[in-house]
Amino acid sequence: MSLKDDLSRILGSDAVVDADDILRSYSRDQSFEQPGKPDAVAFARTVEQVQEVVRYANKTKTPLVPYSSGLNLHGACIPKAGGIILNLSRMNRFIAIDDKNWFAIVEPGVTLDQLQDGLAAKGLRAMLPFGVPAKRSALTSVVERDPSLASASFEYGNDLLMDTEIVLPTGELFRTGLWSAGGRPGSHMGPVRSMIYRFWTGAQGTFGILTKACIKVETLPVVMELHAFGFNSFADAVAPLRELQRREIGLECFLLSSFNLAALLSRDWSIPESYPAARQDSSHFKTLRSELPPWVLFINLAGAPELPEEKIAYEREALGEVAKKHSLSSFNLNGHREVLMEEILRPWRILKKFCYKGSVHDLSFKAPLARLPEFQRLILQVADTHDYPVDDIGGYILPIERGRAVHCEFDFHCDNNDAVEREHIHLVWQEASQKLIEAGAFFDRPYGAWSQMMYRHSGQYAQKLQDLKKELDPNNIMNPGKLCF
Amino acid sequence: MAEEAKKKVPQNRLPKQVYQALEYVVGNRWISDKRSLVETYSKMSIEGMSYVRKHNRDASALPACVVLPATTEEVQGVVRVCNRYGVPFIPFTNGQVFSGTTNDQPTLIIHMSRMNRIINIDSDNMVATLESYVDYAQLQAEAMKVGLWNGGTPLATSLCKLSSQFAFAGLWQTDLKYGLLNRNIVSVKMVLPDGEILDTGTRCLPGAGDFWEYGPGPDLMGLQRGGAGSNGIVTEISVKLHPWVGGTSLPEVPAGRPSLVDVHDPAYDSPPPPDNHRLYWIEFKDLDTEIKTMREISHSGIAIGLNATGVYSAYYCSQTQEMTWDRCKNKFFPDYNCYVIIAGITSPRQIEYEEKVLKLIVERNGGTFLTEDYKPEVLEALMPWNLDCIRHTSGFRMNRKMYASAWLPVGPFEVGKKTQEFWKDALNAFGECDITDRGGADDTPFIYALQRGRFCFAETDNYPDPTNPEEITKAAGFGIYGMARLVKEKVCPCLMAFLNVEPLVSMFPEVGPRQHELFRKIRRVFDPKSVNAPGRQVWTEEEWNNVPPQLKDMVNSMRERVGLEKVK
Repeated sequence: MSLKDDLSRILGSDAVVDADDILRSYSRDQSFEQPGKPDAVAFARTVEQVQEVVRYANKTKTPLVPYSSGLNLHGACIPKAGGIILNLSRMNRFIAIDDKNWFAIVEPGVTLDQLQDGLAAKGLRAMLPFGVPAKRSALTSVVERDPSLASASFEYGNDLLMDTEIVLPTGELFRTGLWSAGGRPGSHMGPVRSMIYRFWTGAQGTFGILTKACIKVETLPVVMELHAFGFNSFADAVAPLRELQRREIGLECFLLSSFNLAALLSRDWSIPESYPAARQDSSHFKTLRSELPPWVLFINLAGAPELPEEKIAYEREALGEVAKKHSLSSFNLNGHREVLMEEILRPWRILKKFCYKGSVHDLSFKAPLARLPEFQRLILQVADTHDYPVDDIGGYILPIERGRAVHCEFDFHCDNNDAVEREHIHLVWQEASQKLIEAGAFFDRPYGAWSQMMYRHSGQYAQKLQDLKKELDPNNIMNPGKLCF
Repeated sequence: MAEEAKKKVPQNRLPKQVYQALEYVVGNRWISDKRSLVETYSKMSIEGMSYVRKHNRDASALPACVVLPATTEEVQGVVRVCNRYGVPFIPFTNGQVFSGTTNDQPTLIIHMSRMNRIINIDSDNMVATLESYVDYAQLQAEAMKVGLWNGGTPLATSLCKLSSQFAFAGLWQTDLKYGLLNRNIVSVKMVLPDGEILDTGTRCLPGAGDFWEYGPGPDLMGLQRGGAGSNGIVTEISVKLHPWVGGTSLPEVPAGRPSLVDVHDPAYDSPPPPDNHRLYWIEFKDLDTEIKTMREISHSGIAIGLNATGVYSAYYCSQTQEMTWDRCKNKFFPDYNCYVIIAGITSPRQIEYEEKVLKLIVERNGGTFLTEDYKPEVLEALMPWNLDCIRHTSGFRMNRKMYASAWLPVGPFEVGKKTQEFWKDALNAFGECDITDRGGADDTPFIYALQRGRFCFAETDNYPDPTNPEEITKAAGFGIYGMARLVKEKVCPCLMAFLNVEPLVSMFPEVGPRQHELFRKIRRVFDPKSVNAPGRQVWTEEEWNNVPPQLKDMVNSMRERVGLEKVK
């Protein structure tokens, strides 16, 4: 029997594909990762089917790559050793939205925009990441630790995952959080007193397949008030940013470089539907880029359910005090306010940046606030050395947990259809990544080439991951070739 | 006393070459196998089974030896010796919780008390790095000097060590805003059972510093947190700090408050709250109203702490045991109540706003604030909480019996009602050890609101006399019954005190399901020789086969009592 026949027996013949053109479409994404073609694509609809496929893969020692939306954009779903792509996009049910206890339970096929729409109907919101495609799986986004735009608050500082349901690499089902007792979900606590759920985060499906997740949600703000301040350099923003965070002002807080803000606001571009995107010229983008300050800091004051205006009033007053103390100059939002306010809840317009050259190759890492100017200089030096125009580097800075850490994304832009340019940008991106890691920038989600660069330096941590991999996935079927496996 | 009972219980000893090797690592001043010394490590303050073994004159209750290493390198040296000779070891700080008792084999206690330094307070990145014997009070005192704090202390007092709480619990009164210790760990440095070092978070990358907790990739700290200290020894822990607006110091009690009838120090027993902080007490007519109001307060986004106290106020706020009992008997404190901690972090206007919202919600739900006009004597009696809500020092001072069989199920606020129902059933079935056992049955369980009210812990406890084996056995029944009942009702029994984590892992395969199988695999990776606190978080197959049949029978009888099948 062929692989297709075997999988069809488990999933039904309409749920398995091995046509070459389809397989080829799963072999690459917009990243620099080497293409790798799967042998079959299988669509599961139920957790039992997922378990069956995992057992089959173990029995036949066939590599298995979990796939939800394919919008990781960093090569996480590209098979390194052929095998089965287990596509979970048909597992797309909302299991529950609990407006009393503020959580949603979703399967992997539910997308970020579907989640936000479903929640809005009940007066709730998800804390979405900025610049992650709307059609990305909400479950995968949370499990892969895409940082929410509200990360500056302690409550939403990259800890949105509650209960999980996981098919382990050997096919057993395991639940964490309240779910571990077999009852209702609604907390990350459990089983016993463990925080074991965190082990599956950032794992790129190498330790199992999450089939359901309970995600923390919030009430929709009744009132919001967005403030913005311009800076000539990122270094100038450090001190006021630190003070704003220490005083816990605002729910959302982030900085955008002029490149990224211009892309977001450009009227000529629309949000791409696929990646790499089609390259387009935009005179509006060029005009905006030349007019905007190099960096703009955004602070969103969100009114709570009770007396929202009064909450905003005391935060506005405090914000004014900090602005005065640091002589901050307000960035005039007129004409853009509505667009930018929409971004707080549906933060996808920044993806228009892909229209500049087609593909975007980011440096996505965590750093302490104080070291960010140093890392930024390092990136600019590498770009300059390789004649990459420094004005074409996009920047997005997100303080996490009141500035304890900062999530940074610096982008290089590239036309993937131009082989010479692609090779050039690949070199710049790789060298900048390497130098950043050597300097201490922490790539906590080590996709693609970053994995070797990170794990080479992290000794016992990598060793223990490898030991656990051998114990929990003895046939090494789960997304082999990723991370340090 | 019978002649047999008078015989001295024999003490296990380490082989001479092992003792010498350990002595070489820590120096002869910091190792001892003297009977008088190891005896002090032979029971833990709330670990019931060790008391039972003491009462049964079980020799395995005595450790063979104790060492006190001073550095991570010394801990590595000690662990390597243990690994080489197959000597089981147990890391030990306060011995306050279920640190895990010794077993039949000669066992080494590694007491971390010399590793008591705050290594660094990084005020830029709001991170404190501590050695394993640093307690909450020590950390807070230093952090507050630079306008920061760690976000809370446990009710088990601020003398708890954060490294121990990493292994076990870490519930704070300010969980509403700051979460448990879970949410506040940046990284740990662990000496693994083979002597190697594991650094988690950004520490694992040279030159990165210590500011971020996840990865790279899968999060190994998630496997270690709550692992009952059985996958290695934490020698350093870095925790998050948060803005503190309450001033540079609090009145400090070195080791809990005095428990004498005529000692009443206003500095500690009637203090005002810290600067820019307020504490409000609210009374409710019943548990339903209490729960409804607590959910609304949580969702409103105000406050840093929100908890219902019930019987706990009687012993946290009384000066004598008799006063505790009297206040319980006479229902001095409201049956249904909660306290709310508010802080003006952004500005003083934040306090005004939050107070206004609080009053609105309480009024809407028919709650009543304790004030100078309404039950002023109760409000006066509750004043110790003004400081204890930030740095808890009174602990269980006025309940001199043993704190045991804590049930701490997790769930939405309604879990408080289920806890009350099940606890009443347990009291009816087993009877109470002390009048304070009725807390949670006749009034509110202790409810900790967490994560803006998405879920809570609802705690009930009982208090046997540690010198009375019958009462301790009764308490054991409470604990195992509680686990069985919660599992039967599919309520997550997140924290259960009295026993070590086992037998509650292997004998409740419904949880996970079959959590013990996954935990065994993880244990094989970290501790293949099973020397690190063996039998604590999960039994190996071999250990399972050697579990005394009486213990299995005891658990199985409780399983059957609630309608679960026996575990074979």
